Amino acid sequence: MKRYLILEDGSVFPGEGFGAETVTTGEIVFNTGMSGYQETITDQSYNGQIITFTYPLIGNAGINRDDYESINPTAKGVVVHEAARVTGNWRAQMTLDEFLRRKHIPGIAGIDTRALTKRLREAGTMKASIVDAADEHAFDQLRALVLPKNQVAQVATTQAYPAPGTGKDIVVVDFGLKHSILRELSKRECNVTVVPPTITASEILELNPDGVMLTNGPGDPKDVPGALDMIRGVEGHIPMFGICLGHQLFALANGADTFKMKYGHRGFNHPVREIATGRIDFTSQNHGYAVDPNSIDPDQLLVTHEEINDHTVEGLRHRLYPAFSVQFHPDAAPGPHDAAHLFDEFMEMMDAFSANKGASHAKTY
Amino acid sequence: MQRALTRISYEIIEQNKDLSDLVIVGIKTRGVYLANRIAARLNQLENLAVPVGDLDIRLYRDDVHTADYRMQPDVKGSDLPVSITNKHVILVDDVIFTGRTIRAALDALMDQGRPRQISLAVLVDRGHRELPIRPDFVGKNIPTSRHEEINVQVKEIDGQDGISIAQLEA
Repeated sequence: MKRYLILEDGSVFPGEGFGAETVTTGEIVFNTGMSGYQETITDQSYNGQIITFTYPLIGNAGINRDDYESINPTAKGVVVHEAARVTGNWRAQMTLDEFLRRKHIPGIAGIDTRALTKRLREAGTMKASIVDAADEHAFDQLRALVLPKNQVAQVATTQAYPAPGTGKDIVVVDFGLKHSILRELSKRECNVTVVPPTITASEILELNPDGVMLTNGPGDPKDVPGALDMIRGVEGHIPMFGICLGHQLFALANGADTFKMKYGHRGFNHPVREIATGRIDFTSQNHGYAVDPNSIDPDQLLVTHEEINDHTVEGLRHRLYPAFSVQFHPDAAPGPHDAAHLFDEFMEMMDAFSANKGASHAKTY
Repeated sequence: MQRALTRISYEIIEQNKDLSDLVIVGIKTRGVYLANRIAARLNQLENLAVPVGDLDIRLYRDDVHTADYRMQPDVKGSDLPVSITNKHVILVDDVIFTGRTIRAALDALMDQGRPRQISLAVLVDRGHRELPIRPDFVGKNIPTSRHEEINVQVKEIDGQDGISIAQLEA
């Protein structure tokens, strides 16, 4: 079935529809990963977005039961150069086409994704639509579209739920979490309680956990102002680790500012330098907003990681409290596992914090 | 090991609002290299050159006692770049065991001046303290038996970084 991808700036890309047959609108972004389309599509950070895959062939391993990052993905569309007709993987349970149909996500194939990506790199991410006819009416509708602001509320849990383990007690504040964060914690035998993003600091302190994690999530961190008081109330009392949106919220809570990037970082091949040691990790990233380095108060926050290509702030640490955050995804699903040690660092931070609680004479403040 | 040193560096920053009066002192031999690495990280993060000194403790030991006599540091004099009086000294060693090395180091330091405060950072805490000494910054707690020996290797003299546990012959 012939369908069209239309962009806010008037571009039309004709292609072949697959997946669900609905008309869709959203913010179009591109992902430079070579694999991991299942994880990417089911990542809730892509809520409301139409995902362009720059890798030319997508779907050849089908969809399997192991790689879901959420149960009900809320991405708005999938744009590929070529959708694999045949699935060949022993784990595959269904084709990408069938999966998208089931989840009501439309796809479009046969798009010159290289030209499209160049366009997005020049003009920035923009509104886009996958439609049956690229007429004036469709463009009017697209221009009139207002992108949603309550994305975290759409994807985060509304009820607290446990993911029991026998180790450290962790409260995970869900802003749209990827299952792989829970997998990394369960690998380390943590006893996890996942709580909704509306939780308050006193509710967390009542649970008295060993550590608090702020997860990834979709959209603009400034749309989640309620979380800032929670972060300010918890930091210093309990070790804290933020990822992606959690990192941006951690920065906002400590006086820094965030901005919308032109086309963001989405992919699994972003080199990041750890400033203390000069070590380079290749990281999995997915963010359209970033922390403004000029807004960081050096008495509050310390920049610990930076992107090599454009010097985006990729990691922060609180100067006075046991709390740190990274913009990239150390859980690496999909992506390189270079940064998985950050979860171990979080574990060590909790150990050091409980060992030092009220015992150290080295504190000078 | 890299990670432990990085975390110690962060903790030093966390616990010291003012880093300008820090002096990092490594206990010879391995402690000196660890001290240098911590200082390098602080420099990277804070753009601050923290003075690094090294300390010879051999003359201050109370004994050549049986528990760790095999690990007597081979030392050749102290070298402190600045006066430590009224400074916050962070003493760095590779392994803390009985605490006697640290006691000797404290004596050695006191002979050089009167620091405002002394903190202790160690890469490995292996337990079995014989003195009331407790490190402020610990890279890794490794519970050991007295029949074991912890070896810390640093690239600068051993060609590689590593921590290993060896059995002592009975």
